[in-house]
Formats: sequence, C-alpha cells, structure tokens
Amino acid sequence: MVKKKTIWPYLLVAPALLIILCVVFIPVVNAILMSFQSYDLRRPNDIRFIGLQNYIAVFRDSLFWKALGRTILWVVFGVGFQFLFGFIMALLLNKKFVARGAIRAVSLIPWVTPGVLIGLMWRWIYDGNNGVLNDILSKLHLIDSNIPFLAQTSTAFPSVIVAIIWQGIPFFALMILAGLQGIPTELYEAADIDGACSSQKLFHITIPSIKNTIYVTALLRIIWVANSVDVIFNMTEGGPAYSTQTLSVYIFNKGNALDLGYASSMAIVMALLLSLVAIPYLASTFKKEA
Amino acid sequence: MAAIMIISLTACSTGATSANKDTTETSEQEENDTNESENVTINFRYWADNTDYSILMQNIIKKFNEENNKGITVVGEETPWDGGAYSETLFNAAMGGGGPDCATWKLTSTPLFMNNNLLADLTPYLDEWDGYSDIDDNMYNVMKEASGTDDVYVMPWNVQVLYVYYRPSIFEAAGVEVPTTYEEFLEAIKKCTMDTDGDGKTDVYGFGMRGGKGGQEPWGSFIYGEGGSFEDLTSAQSVQGMQDFIDLYNNGYVPPTAISDGYDEIIANFQSGLTAMTIHHTGSSANMVEALGDDVSAFPFPDGKGQWTSMGDTETVIFESCENKEAAFEWLAYLATGEGQKMWCEGTGNVPVSKTVQAGDYFQNDPFMKASIAGQPYAGILPILDTTTEWVSSIWPNIVGLALTNNLTAKECMQKLQEELYK
Repeated sequence: MVKKKTIWPYLLVAPALLIILCVVFIPVVNAILMSFQSYDLRRPNDIRFIGLQNYIAVFRDSLFWKALGRTILWVVFGVGFQFLFGFIMALLLNKKFVARGAIRAVSLIPWVTPGVLIGLMWRWIYDGNNGVLNDILSKLHLIDSNIPFLAQTSTAFPSVIVAIIWQGIPFFALMILAGLQGIPTELYEAADIDGACSSQKLFHITIPSIKNTIYVTALLRIIWVANSVDVIFNMTEGGPAYSTQTLSVYIFNKGNALDLGYASSMAIVMALLLSLVAIPYLASTFKKEA
Repeated sequence: MAAIMIISLTACSTGATSANKDTTETSEQEENDTNESENVTINFRYWADNTDYSILMQNIIKKFNEENNKGITVVGEETPWDGGAYSETLFNAAMGGGGPDCATWKLTSTPLFMNNNLLADLTPYLDEWDGYSDIDDNMYNVMKEASGTDDVYVMPWNVQVLYVYYRPSIFEAAGVEVPTTYEEFLEAIKKCTMDTDGDGKTDVYGFGMRGGKGGQEPWGSFIYGEGGSFEDLTSAQSVQGMQDFIDLYNNGYVPPTAISDGYDEIIANFQSGLTAMTIHHTGSSANMVEALGDDVSAFPFPDGKGQWTSMGDTETVIFESCENKEAAFEWLAYLATGEGQKMWCEGTGNVPVSKTVQAGDYFQNDPFMKASIAGQPYAGILPILDTTTEWVSSIWPNIVGLALTNNLTAKECMQKLQEELYK
C-alpha cells in the first residue's frame, strides 16, 4: 500500500525551522558577511567591503595567536580535569551509602550555578587582600604572605582554570553516572567468578561500556568550554596583561569595542576550528540515526 | 558559533535604529500637539556608586514626580557603572531600540553616540530655559567640544575632580607632611610604605594604585607630573611618568594586587589601612568619613613639571528616540539647577554646576570639596575620540599590566598606548 503524501508534517515542523532560520542561520550568514567588511560601529560612515583584510589582520595579530594557544590550554586542562574528577565522583556516587540521593543532589550545585555568579564567587575567594583562600593557606602556615592569585600573570590563568573545572565536574559525573547505571550487574558478577581485580573490571567492563557516553560528553564540553566567556570575564576580564584572554574572551572584548567586522572574522575562524571537534560528533549522531 | 550569533545580532540592531528614527520623527510631530498637562512617563537610566546614592537618586525621582505639577513621571532604571561597561550597555540598548528616554552620561561616550545619531540636540530647549545662566558658559563650551558641533547635546550635571585621599595617622607615623610637589608626593609614598609590626613584611603601602579599569585617570596625573601629556604619550616626559608608575609597583610601594585593582579594591584597601593614600573624587567622601571619621583628609594632586588631574564629569542626555523630549528636559533641568542638583551634590559630595548651589554653606566648608575646587584649574579629561571607550576599558589596563609585569618597557608601553588611542 502506498502512503498518501501530505503537507501536514511539514507544517508541524515549519515553526521550529522558522525559529532556527531567524536565530541561527540569518545571524551566522550576517556574521560571515560582516567578516569581509570594515564594520566598526564607532565609524558607521566607513562601513565597506574589504575582502580578506580582516582575516589577514587576524592571522598577523599576535594577541590572536596567544589567545588561541591559551584556549587550547583552557580546553585541555579544563575539560581534562573535569572528566577525571567527574569520573571519580560518578564512581563514588554509584556506590550505595547513606544519604546518597541527597549528596547526588548537592553535588549538582556547581553545575546549576550561573557562570556570572561563579566568576564573582571565585574572584572573592582568590582576592589577594581579603580572600578566603589566602586566609586558609595562611592559617595552615602554607604561605608567609598573601598571594595575589588574579593579579599575577603566573597565577591568574591557572586560577580561572580551577574555577571552570569546579563548574564542569558535576556534568561529567551526572552523564557518567547515568552510563554506569546502565551496565548490567551480571558482567561484574561474571568477572568476580573469574577472579578479576578492581582495575581489571574498571578497564575491561566499566570504561568500554560507557565509552560512548564519555565521548559525547567530552565533545560537548570541549565546545562549551572553548566558547565560554562568563567565568573568565567576571573574574579577570581577560587580564592582567592579557594573561587570561582566551579566544572567546578576545572576540567578546572586540565585539564590545564595536569592531564587529574584526570580531566576526575571529569568530568565523574559531567556529571553523571548533567544527573539527563538532564534525565527528555530528557524523556519529547521523550514523546512529541512519 | 555562539560568538558569531551574538555579534551578528548586535549588528542587526543597527537596522532597528533607523526604523526607530522614522518612528521618532512622527512622534515628535505628535508631541508638539500634546497638551502639557497630559501624563507623561520618562525612562531615566543612571548608575550609582553605592546603595546610599542609589536610594538618594530614588528619593530625587520621587520628589520630582510628586512636585513637578506637569504630569511627568520619571521611572529610574539603575544600571551598574561596571568600569565603563555602563556606556557599552547603554549603546547596545539604544542601537537595539530598547534604550531609555534619557540617561546619566560620560563625555567620553559622546562621539560613539553622535556618530550613530542617537542623541537629541538640546539647544532649542536650552535657548528657552530660564536656568541657562546659572551654569558657567565654559561648561556649555566643553559640551559643544565633546559633540564636535556648535550645538549642545549633553546637559551639564556635576563634576568630580580627582584628589589624593590620605590617612593623617599614617602620615604622622611615617613623619610625612602633606606633599606640595610631585617629587614630595613620590617621596611620601615611599616613606609611608612601612613594616609596622617588625616581621619583615610590608603592612602599609604608600599608595593605592589602580591598575584595573578606570586606572587611567589617576595614572594621567603621574604622566603630567613629569611634564608629559596625553597629546604625546611617547615624549620623554610622558615615558618618565610611566616609569615612575612602574617603579612604584616593582619596588613594592603599592599592594601586589594593584595591577588588577579597581574602584572597590582601592577604596577597601584605603579604608582598611592597607594603603596610606589613594586617588578618587568626592563621590566616595561620604563613605570615607563614615568609615574613618577624622582619620581621612585630602590634598589636590601636587604640582611637578606639569600638573593635571582628572575631571570626572557626569552629565545627562536625551536620546533621539525619546518621544517626550520636552518633559525629559524638565527632568534634566531639575537635576542641573533645581532641587535635584542640591540633593544629589550634597548627598554624594560631587561638585555642582549650578552657581546658586555652589554658593551654599555645605560646599563652602567641606574639606574634600576644597581639594576638588583647588584642582579645578588644572583638571581635564582624556581626549574624546571614538577609540577612547575601548582604550579605557580594555587597552589601557592590559598594556599597562604588561609594563608593570616587565613584559614591556615604559617606552614600548607608551608607544602602544599612543598607537591605540590615536589609531
């Protein structure tokens, strides 16, 4: 029997497509067009097509390359430690103990806290004169004098990485915990009968069983962390002396300065770089759907 | 991707502005026919440096609403200053068509808004205003200069002249007199840096340096103190002023956090006794007296090879998109010369622009006002260029940060600052 073609499904999908067109497609196309223009709102009478000049300037901009290098470190250390601690937390939360439900709920607090609030909170924790971290370190006799964590180029960047790690651990823990709960207990029982030790069970049962979860979670976090601005901006605004300026913060600062053409060209370059990460994820998603 | 979308949506809003302009022109015609007694609502955006000033502004608004007898209701929209981000937010709102009718203002933002035709010309309203002569002509000239036209787009409100706060008790302990020259000032900073408990660590720093956003204002006094100027930041004198600034940081005469310290930090450090001196204006004097009582006083930034202090101006503007400009001007006039001027300047300690208010006892007897008035003859503002906002909010803190951390020499730093300001 041949199914009758109907317009009804397309009408149902149309509103969603229209919204995506308006809030994603049009702005992206507009940004691509702006990246080929001298589009500085401080000089609105001088907006004109300039070809690849913005891109050439970006690749000659030493701040861009430094910001790119810092973004790689930001993602590698940020996501890497989020995964490590999230994995450990998930293994602990998967065990049966008193008040497990309450602790699982509390452990989500960093994830549900707004990035702006996290930035402000950590800024005061790190404060060089009145910060609680300096107070604790001083009372433990670990330091002789206060450390200006966010005012030194050597400590500012590691400090903001710690804040983003703290924020992202619960997301990894939550996703991995969901994966762990889907592993059949029979596998562990069989391993026990065969005399497998804990590490053998971890590397031969647990990790292989949740590898897809880890893969998808890591890809999503890489994209989100690379794009994140809120935590760094509220802690340091990219300073001191550009020492915490990642690519997304640099784009944000240039956008704020209203040099939208230059900011767009950097954003396009960043989007292309991130697509290297996103494409495998999208490919695997489409493969599953097919 | 998110970055692309944000930037693109910001740019899209320029189109919205043109549409608003058309709407405004129609509204202006309608406005002319509007009876004065009709109820009119004016949205007024402002910032307040602390909660007391916030309450004060709300009281002024309330008083105006109750007493204007013209059916005008002002609705206050408070937005944080946030080291200058206020102006950026205001610009985005105005460009997007969601801006207020009028707002408090900094002159440095004027070119950006003028270039985008966002401000209303106040000249026709000033011409018919009987309070015009209560404000010095020089103030109107500064406003005209900022707009780059012969018309007034910015309404004078109050000025804040930066001076040096000091702790008399620390000066006494260090055996220091109030400095009268730039050299004495640098020497006083060194002498006031002390280890008070003998543990080998500095307990009091001579000066609360502001290396974060907004730090360009006190920094300018060092540049001029050595004979430099904003017009040529690369001159030997300007570079020497920068070198003085670097030396204070590297020799430990300012807190190690100075590189990123902003307003909150310099005030907190001064009030806690961590620093002996810092630079700010009368906007913080009420809080200083409340926290420190008699142990705080002020002197004007002293004379060196040159002399300059920042005139932190605050004005008000009406936006072109405002549909009831006449009513908005009534409110601005109330703030400039009326009861609003008196309440705000007495409550915040800012220097009034109204000659009548200036003559009051409060302003004649206040020691911080005296330091402000003494600084007025050499007070100035940064060059008002379309690059100034970015230079202040992003370029200056980071470039100076590179110099303070010895990643740039004083000369390289000043060359970079010159290039970015005048590009």
